[in-house]
Amino acid sequence: MFEPKLAVGTADPARLLAELVERKVSLELTTLDLGFVALLAARASQAGLASFTEAQLSDAFELTCQTMDPSLDNLKLRATHAIRRLREQRMLVRVDGAGVVRAGEFALSRLASAIVEFFLEEEVLTRESLTLLTRSLLGSLAEILQAAEAAESDDAWRSGVTAPLRVTVNELISGIERRQRGLDVQQEEFQREMSKLLEVDWFNALDRCQSLLDSTAKTLRELNEILLRDTHLLLNLLADVSDVAVQRARPDVEAVARRVMEQIDRIAAWGSARQRAWSEYYEYVHRYLRDIVRLDPSRALTQRLRSQLSEHSARPFALTVAAAPPLRLLRSVLPPEPPLPVRRPKREKEDEPELPAEPARDPLGELEAQIAELLHQGVTDLAELTARVTADLALSEQFLAAGRVAHIVARLARPPVNNHRPWVPVNDGLVIEEWRLKKASAGHE
Amino acid sequence: MSESQFRDVGDAVSDESYPDIDLALRRGRHIDQHDGPWYTYLLDAAPFLEPFYRRFGAELVRVNDGYFYLLPTSDRLGKRHLSVPEMLVGQTLALLYLDPLTIQKGGNVTRDEVLGHLASVMGSEALIRALHSKKKRVDERVAQEAVRQKVHDALRRLSTLGFVDLLNGEQLKLRPALLRFAESVRGADSPAEALAKLVAKGEAVLGDSEASEGDSDAESSEGAPEDAEE
Repeated sequence: MFEPKLAVGTADPARLLAELVERKVSLELTTLDLGFVALLAARASQAGLASFTEAQLSDAFELTCQTMDPSLDNLKLRATHAIRRLREQRMLVRVDGAGVVRAGEFALSRLASAIVEFFLEEEVLTRESLTLLTRSLLGSLAEILQAAEAAESDDAWRSGVTAPLRVTVNELISGIERRQRGLDVQQEEFQREMSKLLEVDWFNALDRCQSLLDSTAKTLRELNEILLRDTHLLLNLLADVSDVAVQRARPDVEAVARRVMEQIDRIAAWGSARQRAWSEYYEYVHRYLRDIVRLDPSRALTQRLRSQLSEHSARPFALTVAAAPPLRLLRSVLPPEPPLPVRRPKREKEDEPELPAEPARDPLGELEAQIAELLHQGVTDLAELTARVTADLALSEQFLAAGRVAHIVARLARPPVNNHRPWVPVNDGLVIEEWRLKKASAGHE
Repeated sequence: MSESQFRDVGDAVSDESYPDIDLALRRGRHIDQHDGPWYTYLLDAAPFLEPFYRRFGAELVRVNDGYFYLLPTSDRLGKRHLSVPEMLVGQTLALLYLDPLTIQKGGNVTRDEVLGHLASVMGSEALIRALHSKKKRVDERVAQEAVRQKVHDALRRLSTLGFVDLLNGEQLKLRPALLRFAESVRGADSPAEALAKLVAKGEAVLGDSEASEGDSDAESSEGAPEDAEE
């Protein structure tokens, strides 16, 4: 179908465009086509026709051709092509569904009606139409508020609140927006018309331009006043509907009310934006009419300036303008500090080792005491003494300990001088020269 | 004339906006109604500022078309003369300002329209000779590019002087001070006589200005007050 599958107001723009590309939507209409459609719309309206037979379409096309371009021939064939073109572009739709059984009946589509409406029906926002539309909106919203307050069932919410908000209110607001766009177009026309009037009739167009300017300014001012006053009332009513929806836990109604509020905000914003823009334009054109048109009734200035420009090379001149050098503001400058001398970064000192709380041990003293004790007990062989002292030591430490033992023993108990001192094993890995010590007084001689 | 809000020149220069306006005027800026509070200030303070600036060897000129500017009448205050591209582009903009077709767009024109209008009035060859005339044999494409560049530069400098506003993109807003370019052809006098009067008043000099175009780049004036911007 030609109907858009996505709602313009809510759809993602990228998806919307992709949809249009996918369906290859395009329009190509000549002035003759538009005239044909306009004539059909006029006949439908005047004669109350809901559809047209093929013969009626052909007749209408022929009449269009005779009026718009009498030089055309082969009208029957042209009519066939024109009807096909309009059908392909969904401007005409077949409504009978009889297929090949009999000749078809055709009606103008919504698209065709909208195009005719745009070109032929002047739907512009005026003081009267805006007042009427906003009054209708206020009435509808008051009824919707009452319905919302009284609604008890889903059906009551749907028929009394949601549907009127979506259809009636939306249609009324769309009507205002459509007329706003109509007024925008009309303003553009005014601007073009003023420009054309001055171009053609210069000084004599002054009064007409001034009157166009004033009437549009007045219309916009009035519209803005109505919008300011009525949109406030409309928003209040919608806020009440929204409050009721919140109290009754109806998020769907609240969402619809919020969307309508956004539409109304947009309408109000249009009013102030247009008035602001027009006020700037008004000021500009008013100054133009006063300073340029009135002071130069024969429009000689433009011609003389044009000549001056084209002959600039022959008679050059240059305007003088002030060009004072910028003020020199002296800054208060602080002299820079002398650079720091080069130094090697200091290494952090190692922390002093903590002294153990216990008094330091004296291993040699302990060894000496142990040997003295053994001597006192009556041990007389160096091998036995060494074996007992080194019994708990690792093999790697025994050799060193054996030397120390011999040294201490030699000091504590003088060994006898013998020519023969046999080598004896102390344990599996250590062999020493055996000394025989004297018993009893051994340690203290 | 309505009562001024200032009692004397001291009162006028004590106003908060005076330093910015003074700097802008001294840098050659033309101030009109689009500058909002600046223009209102000058309307009020002009009777006091005129003798004040005269002491600096400059005239605070108020034109009936609705703009002010400072015109140096001696060498005490710096001055310069507009370059050839500035003069040509300025006169073209003035022509467009007078054109009723500009009304349709509320006084806005595009850069292309300026260039097109300039070329149509002067002729393309004359335009190239005027703006790119130093070399005898030039590549046409290079010369056209040079002309476009000079026109764009001139527009930029004219915008700092308050003759035109550079809007977003290609759009330009024409300002009333452009009528200064038409001053020599406005009165009943012949253009030569009118020009001689302007020269006598120090408003213009005869011949092409020899000021280098780059000289004026540093002269960008203070921006107009925010509420006056387009």
